[in-house]
Amino acid sequence: MRATFTSLKRLLLASIAFVLGAAGLTLFVDPLQLFRPSGSAFYSDDTRVQNAGLIRSQSFDTAFMGTSLAIHFRQSDIDRALGVRSLKLAMTGSNSRQQAFVLEQAIARGARRVIWEMDDFIFVDAADIEADPYLSVDLYRGTAKGIASYLFSAAMAKESLFALLRSVPPLQGPLTRAAPFLPVKFALADVDDIYALPRDFDIAREYNAKKALAAFAYITSPVRSRFLGEGYGYDAMVRHFERDAVALVERHPDVIFDVYFPPYSILQFVAMRDASPATLKIVTDLTAVIATRLTQLPNVRLHDFRAIKAVTHELGNYGDVIHHSPVVDAMVLKWLASGEYRVDPKAPLRSLDELKAQVEVYRVPGLP
Amino acid sequence: MLFNSYPFILLFLPVVLAGYFWLGRRSNLTPVIWLALASLAFYAIGSWQFVALLVLSIAFNYGIGHLLIVAKLGPSRRKAALALGVAGDLLVLGIFKYAGFAVENVNALLGMHFAVHILLPVGISFYTFTQIAFLVDAYRGQVAAYALPHYALFVTYFPHLIAGPILHHKDMIPQFEREETKRPDGHLILCGVIIFAIGLFKKTCLADGIQPLVALAFETRSPSFDQAWCGALAYTFQLYFDFSGYSDMAIGISLMFGIFLPVNFNSPYKATSIVEFWRRWHVTLSQFLRDYLYIPLGGNRHGRVLRYVNLLITMLLGGLWHGAAWTFVVWGALHGAYLCVNHAFNAVVPTIPSALARPARIGGAVLTFLAVVVAWVFFRAESVAWALRVLHAMADPSNVVFGREEIAALVMIAVYAALVWLAPNTQGILGYDHANRRVGENLRAGRMRPLFLYGASLVLAFGILGIQSHSEFIYFRF
Repeated sequence: MRATFTSLKRLLLASIAFVLGAAGLTLFVDPLQLFRPSGSAFYSDDTRVQNAGLIRSQSFDTAFMGTSLAIHFRQSDIDRALGVRSLKLAMTGSNSRQQAFVLEQAIARGARRVIWEMDDFIFVDAADIEADPYLSVDLYRGTAKGIASYLFSAAMAKESLFALLRSVPPLQGPLTRAAPFLPVKFALADVDDIYALPRDFDIAREYNAKKALAAFAYITSPVRSRFLGEGYGYDAMVRHFERDAVALVERHPDVIFDVYFPPYSILQFVAMRDASPATLKIVTDLTAVIATRLTQLPNVRLHDFRAIKAVTHELGNYGDVIHHSPVVDAMVLKWLASGEYRVDPKAPLRSLDELKAQVEVYRVPGLP
Repeated sequence: MLFNSYPFILLFLPVVLAGYFWLGRRSNLTPVIWLALASLAFYAIGSWQFVALLVLSIAFNYGIGHLLIVAKLGPSRRKAALALGVAGDLLVLGIFKYAGFAVENVNALLGMHFAVHILLPVGISFYTFTQIAFLVDAYRGQVAAYALPHYALFVTYFPHLIAGPILHHKDMIPQFEREETKRPDGHLILCGVIIFAIGLFKKTCLADGIQPLVALAFETRSPSFDQAWCGALAYTFQLYFDFSGYSDMAIGISLMFGIFLPVNFNSPYKATSIVEFWRRWHVTLSQFLRDYLYIPLGGNRHGRVLRYVNLLITMLLGGLWHGAAWTFVVWGALHGAYLCVNHAFNAVVPTIPSALARPARIGGAVLTFLAVVVAWVFFRAESVAWALRVLHAMADPSNVVFGREEIAALVMIAVYAALVWLAPNTQGILGYDHANRRVGENLRAGRMRPLFLYGASLVLAFGILGIQSHSEFIYFRF
């Protein structure tokens, strides 16, 4: 009997030792670069976690924020086009709370300019940022809880162990080449590659009119059209816009905010027109408020790309009704640099009115 | 409360264990009451609003049970008492679990728009089945008169309360009554910790680890051939490690209290036929469906055709037990059909030449696994249409992406497949023998090296390190 209790004690003590050992390994390797920047670090596509490390480890003067509409940009392209040192912090499916929180952290670490791809749907209801299960505020803030969750993590221990193995000279080459195809998160050798499309990416296959039209048919199908306006509520969205966007801008008058409305395909609005007119009204009313409000703020430059017919009506640019190809990404950077689609504070609704007119008359190819 | 949480592991479990054994030195009854109260607290921490329902359910069934066991009722009154008990249980289950589903279908049929929003009480499917079995056995005269604390503990016993295994009163209550279980047994606690560690590792590192890959098939509007297969296989492994992890943890925790729970999983994906699969997957549910549904329906006693009908009905209801949705009905129907085909095949091809036995077993295992994967697609999908879309993608090899993400997913799935098919299962590792109340005999005899203990420590450590803030068990929804 005593022997079994001794074994039990030994097992529990050994477990504690292993837990501490794993935490020590993560502390030593620091895959997120939370404690110290590393020239040989690898990066992860898990942006909600990776951003916490990027903000602490990278040197930048410009934060680039957005949803999946801004996820494929390369920092090097942004830097070249705009003459800045950017840090891409875009997060797929993110909401305004998450974006504002992450931007706040980036500004605190030195961002003097923010480029913000702003979708209307980011302002829908979302979890309180303090209780957000998908974005750990403690990790960003570096609280004891956040650091503990980082160090005492099996996933991070696994990543650290892999990083350690990868640093062994004979294994370095093979493991670096194999990493992107292995179930490890920190597989990207270059920060520029985070969520960027590969250089040899087949654009025509992923972005074409057939795909855009198929997506249109899908979202306007009677069984699914109710999802078009899911979570949309004008009053709540305006409230969230004020709380997350306007308040952030006003808190940082020394930071320049380049906010832009991305060039969705015209099908996005036509889908609402045909299948959910109430949603279209919420979207246009909300963007009217956003445009009017933002153009009044001295440190904001608003750019509206939604009514650029040559792009938004060319369905070959899209993978569905909103996501545009890297070709359009390059155009966006060019437009931001030139300011040619900047909204005039004296006529903040001009481009919105243009868009409304386009939506009204547009006929979907192949439909009667 | 979750087994895979720090409050449970570091606070709740040690306190309940300490209280149980401390009280056990003074009496045989108070530890039972303590454990029943602790179980209610365990339930209340996660679902306080349904505690009253659970207590009422226990009181109601214990009362009906009393009528059937102690009161000297005539046959017709006994039958009426049983009918009242089972109908009451099913009515509560029906209201909480199926009312919304029924209204939804009536709305669809009649073009109406009634809305019913009823929260599903956690564990209701499990504790309802457990008690129906008790009532039926009481009616059959197979139940002794149990004391209320023991009965209450049998229903609420926290290791099984929320997601099984489905317990049988004849197996459990005598164990609760034994004085030996109230004294700490170092060997059982050690084995319990090891089994718990394996279960925790399965859940936090394996099931939660592969969970993101499931989205490839089930959260993509038009998955490609390889994405659909990766997602479907990922879910196949996630569900297994999630649920068998929970069952292992339940067995491990229970062993610490000196109580043996039934095995719920026995390497189901190694099954060489669907019949065998159901002897290995969610074993306690299979036994319940067999003893309290299939056999009362007539089983195989009324000819082949009726046997197949009974199989189909049993599996359809088994599917519906998992959830109020057509996807579960289809899943049950598929498994019913599989079982009919399997039995028909066995009837037509009684024996296989020994030279072909091995290839036939391998072929059977592959076919069984594929059939199970196809059925899981319905089990996981949001709707039947969505499931059909995934299956359509799985059947269209002309549309392949095979990019970085898909290759990484395949590597991960290969690792899981190796674990599932090549690694021994938990009861094999520890020699867990529920029937004979034996476990870890090799460990007791000193035939297991220190290396085994340190391996277990590593598994426990990684199980704890794998705990995430938002990770529920899939079966909590059933």
